Amino acid sequence: MGYRIGFDVGGTFTDFTIINDESGVVDYFKVSSTPDDPSAAIESGLASLIENLEISPDQVSHLGHGTTVATNMAIERKGARTGLMTTRGFRDVLEIGRQTRPHLYNYRVRRPEPLIPRHLRLEIDERILADGSVHRPLDENAVRAAARRLVESDIEAVVICFLHSYRNPSHERRAREILAEELPGVYVSLSSEVLPEFREFERLSTTVLNAYMGPRMQRYLEKLLTRVKGLGISANLDTVHSNGGLMSVATVREMPVRTCVSGPAAGVIGAAEVGRTAGFRNLVTFDVGGTSTDVSIIVDGQPLFASDRTVAGFPVRTPMVDIHVIGAGGGSIAAVDDAGSLKVGPKSAGAVPGPVAYDRGGTAPTITDANIVLGRLDQHSLLDGRLLINAAGARAVIQDKVAGPLGIDLEDAAYGILRIAAANMNRAIHAVSTEKGHDIREFALIAYGGAGPLHAADLAREAGINTIIVPREPGTLCARGILLSDITMDFVRSELMLATPDIWREVIAVLRGMHDKAEAWLTRELVPDSERRIETMIDARYDGQNYELAVVVRDLAKLSVDGFVAEFKDRHKREYGYDIEGRAVEIVNCRVRAVGRIEKAHSRLEGVGGEDPKTGERNAFFGREIGWRQTPVLRRERLPAGMEIQGPAIVEEMSSTTVIHPSQQVIVDEFGNLIITRSAPHEEALENA
Amino acid sequence: MPEGTPSGFDPIAMEVFSNRLLTITEEMGITLIRGSFSPNIKERQDCSVALFDRRGRLISQASHIPMHLGALEGGVETILAKYSLDDIRDGDVFMCNDAYLAGGTHSPDITIVTPIFCGGRLRFFATNLGHHSDVGGSTPGSVSPTAQTIFDEGLRIPLVRVMRAGTLDEDVLSFVTSNSREPEDRAFDLKVQIAANDRGRRLVQDLVSAHSIEEVERSVDDLLAYTERRLRARIAALDDGSSTFATWLDDDGFGGDPVRIQATVTVSGSDLTVDFEGTGPQARGAYNMPKAALNATVYYCVKTMLDPELLPNDGMAAAVTIKAPDGSLAKPEFPGAVGMRSCTAQPFSGAIIGAFNELLPSDRQMASGNDAMPALVVSGQSRRRPGTYVYVETIGGGSGSMCDLDGADGTHVHITNSSNLPAEALENEYPLLVEEYCLIPDSCGAGRQRGGLGIAREIRVLDEGTFFYANSEKTVIHPTGLMGGKDGSNARIIVNPGTAEEEILKANQPGKVVQKGTSIRLETPGGAGYGPCEDRRDEAIRDDILEEKTTLEFAREHYGRDKADATWSSP
Repeated sequence: MGYRIGFDVGGTFTDFTIINDESGVVDYFKVSSTPDDPSAAIESGLASLIENLEISPDQVSHLGHGTTVATNMAIERKGARTGLMTTRGFRDVLEIGRQTRPHLYNYRVRRPEPLIPRHLRLEIDERILADGSVHRPLDENAVRAAARRLVESDIEAVVICFLHSYRNPSHERRAREILAEELPGVYVSLSSEVLPEFREFERLSTTVLNAYMGPRMQRYLEKLLTRVKGLGISANLDTVHSNGGLMSVATVREMPVRTCVSGPAAGVIGAAEVGRTAGFRNLVTFDVGGTSTDVSIIVDGQPLFASDRTVAGFPVRTPMVDIHVIGAGGGSIAAVDDAGSLKVGPKSAGAVPGPVAYDRGGTAPTITDANIVLGRLDQHSLLDGRLLINAAGARAVIQDKVAGPLGIDLEDAAYGILRIAAANMNRAIHAVSTEKGHDIREFALIAYGGAGPLHAADLAREAGINTIIVPREPGTLCARGILLSDITMDFVRSELMLATPDIWREVIAVLRGMHDKAEAWLTRELVPDSERRIETMIDARYDGQNYELAVVVRDLAKLSVDGFVAEFKDRHKREYGYDIEGRAVEIVNCRVRAVGRIEKAHSRLEGVGGEDPKTGERNAFFGREIGWRQTPVLRRERLPAGMEIQGPAIVEEMSSTTVIHPSQQVIVDEFGNLIITRSAPHEEALENA
Repeated sequence: MPEGTPSGFDPIAMEVFSNRLLTITEEMGITLIRGSFSPNIKERQDCSVALFDRRGRLISQASHIPMHLGALEGGVETILAKYSLDDIRDGDVFMCNDAYLAGGTHSPDITIVTPIFCGGRLRFFATNLGHHSDVGGSTPGSVSPTAQTIFDEGLRIPLVRVMRAGTLDEDVLSFVTSNSREPEDRAFDLKVQIAANDRGRRLVQDLVSAHSIEEVERSVDDLLAYTERRLRARIAALDDGSSTFATWLDDDGFGGDPVRIQATVTVSGSDLTVDFEGTGPQARGAYNMPKAALNATVYYCVKTMLDPELLPNDGMAAAVTIKAPDGSLAKPEFPGAVGMRSCTAQPFSGAIIGAFNELLPSDRQMASGNDAMPALVVSGQSRRRPGTYVYVETIGGGSGSMCDLDGADGTHVHITNSSNLPAEALENEYPLLVEEYCLIPDSCGAGRQRGGLGIAREIRVLDEGTFFYANSEKTVIHPTGLMGGKDGSNARIIVNPGTAEEEILKANQPGKVVQKGTSIRLETPGGAGYGPCEDRRDEAIRDDILEEKTTLEFAREHYGRDKADATWSSP
């Protein structure tokens, strides 16, 4: 009998999910994070799990982990002291970026300072042209001199990025050899290995982050492995990376930049899997935390991917689950401005000082305080009694700072804060879905994170969404998602050429070479043949365009140039509504994804019932027309499959609270998900008023 | 409630509806950008969308570059002046571009206006404009500094219906697209523009039917009144008074003396007036500012200097009066050419911000930035396909410093914010080689806070018979320092730098054909400094030298030899 454990290290909590492979029974667990040494919380959490469930360490068959170590390094600028060698004339590419300013009207908002200062960005005489030919040979003495200069500057990591190295990496490789002689043991990242893709700023930025994160990530992994071994666990440790797949410690060492949105990506993978099992294939994911909300779109059971995202303001071009961060969460502050309008966010009280109701020194009214005032959150304690609530403080601050200045009643002010928050979130979600060409009114909302289920009903109403899914223990879905992830790795290579019969053989050869690389990687990751899959895509565009569309290649052996062009045109038509007769098609990038399938367990909800789910009732406010309602409070773990509840109701569990409006009903499905739908249009009109 | 708030004002409904209206304009904008074909709209996002009410008041705008702030009202104003509401049918769609006949910004910007009917009555207008890369005329791109009249700048489209009662008028469409060098691209983009408005129409109708027209209109009134109240509060917080600032356009497109640009900003209670009296005469070339461009530039400066988060709607316009003398650069007379108005808008922004500075508290002041639109155009025989290629790029420079902040290095300022083209993309597409792309050390104005550094971009042509045109403002005029800060550097256009054939070109020279191997270097202006040099912190002086952003010689010259040497040699 084996157990698989997924854990996600967040800023406040480290969440665990454990699955019994045989019975499919799932358990959830949470400990406080230890930001100075994240592996300490992991160790104590794992130790408690083993003890509480009475399992022996050798029964643990697999560990999967989501981490914010890499991202935090970039945000806090606490990575390695890094140097750069680049083509003469181009050291400022890292600093100029795309020459745009981040805010059109506010000149105090700046691009982030580059992670490598100007004097540690060294230029080397060498030049490769767009066709890969050598225009000026590598000046090896200059490389040697640069290496010595970097030694003197106490460099821990070096980036080598030359122009057009995606097409000809020989100069970068030779420079690494010389560097190894001069600076043995230093962490080196080559742009042609981290991201062999054209467009120098984005390739450079991605490679710089990788090197900047490399040395500290290595130290973190060593420590974590030692702690895990110390517990007697010998299972492999995998890490979720930004595309929602798993990779080994060895790969993370080389490519730490790929772990940037590790935890949130696992959440989306988990949401997609939960949704698919529950029969919903088109989803909006809605993960509300203390300071921000992550949203993404799942279409036909598949998360969407993007490779144009930023981390701490720096472009990262590795494929990531397409998650958008909205600056609104439980800690978002409500404020009345000098012209009499009520704004919610983007300022946040964060975890510290936090909402007034948490009594940690917060003095500004927040969304959480509004939820306390309206009776949506328990007015005495949260987190199963671990967090005491100062409801009087929440009421006083909303009265003094919102209701008073606006000349309205306390509950109208608190309700207004939630309505405005929902309108803000809806606007952000619309921008995401419209950009992808989808109408979210046809989607279901899957709500998780500590506060997702609390705000889902308000958001769904504002967005015109009819169905809400709340998975079990929504506060730990990211940890659960880790156990639903496959082992994956993305490979890319820029190959700019017009799609003509002459070059087709070359394209196929490149893709075959990439397939070989993908197979080799799967072998290294110990994936058995039967569980392997290789996906192929080609990014292409009409000649003269500057943006690409990904065309999925189903069968490489049967792919002809005509078939590819037809496929591209079809894709263009579906995406933008038209295609163009007679215009040449240009291939831009070849992409391959290696997938090692992992068995996924879905536990049905069994053995629940008997105990009365109702633990009490409390007064909750649902807008001026409906007013206060005596609302039953139900315990999530006691809700049996098939149970139907008419709103209003409040469902509580350890990590989250779900609010069901008077206009809604909920049914518990066979997997224990809450499926919330609209049932009373009349009530809904009143809630809206 | 603050003073001046009307009774019955519902701040929560207003904020909720404000988000709903912004959601609609943002969806329209995304539809437009996503669907369009040409890089100008799709990638440079040189386009804007807006909603107006039936009285022609701007309700909400999604503007991707400041040059379009409030610039869409021309089309709606023209409709309201020309027709009574009864003459307009559901399903009609209007099109225009002309600066003199339809309030246009310059000919390549084609505006589409779609009336929105709710319950059988015209209630709103959805509008958008996109920069089309060519609308005919004597020069590819339809914009040339030496265009002398609007007739040189391509097709003039007065207000015409491109759809009637829901049916596309293919004749009108083909008439317009046939006047472009790229008829196919024009047709795609115009259809996408029509579709983007149609999306806005449906979303507005959904919003009205989910609530009621009264509720929506009530919130619109509240929103416009709120914006006006908010801006007036910012203005009223300043002392009454008047301040004038002048800068210059290097020349008017035909050489000659610099042309004066003068702005006077006056605060009186909660009213703001921006007057361009004293500005030089209308340019002989295409540097004139049509009304839409002048208004956009003023609104940009008002937002930047007073309230960066102020929503662009009619309330923004209500507190601001704009005046300009007839026949001046700021208010040209027909048929003056206007194609280069973005280049003019940069020093205009500099003049307005300069005038604002004296009226503002120090934490809102800003020294002059590069205040230019340096541009490079290279054209020749394509190696990739039959015909010619045209490479066009605008290049950023240094931004101005503030009382507690150095200027930003290498960035676009003011009314534009377009991306560069990566060297690797450029070299794959064109027979050109990028020799250098870097910040220019010592190009900043010194001061307590230094200006941002300018950018140098040097490109070598690889084929014979290549045409190039390079231009920038601020080749003679310097970005102006503030409160004792020093001026920023000039722009320079250099052919074959560092060789025996090196040649420095003046601004506004006609383009020329050069030999294979010629290199062209454009150096853009650095931003100006703020505050006296002696107040600069030692650490900042040292960091700049360490980072090789300024040289030791620069530090010695501006901060004093002894101080510079002591700072640099200290551990």
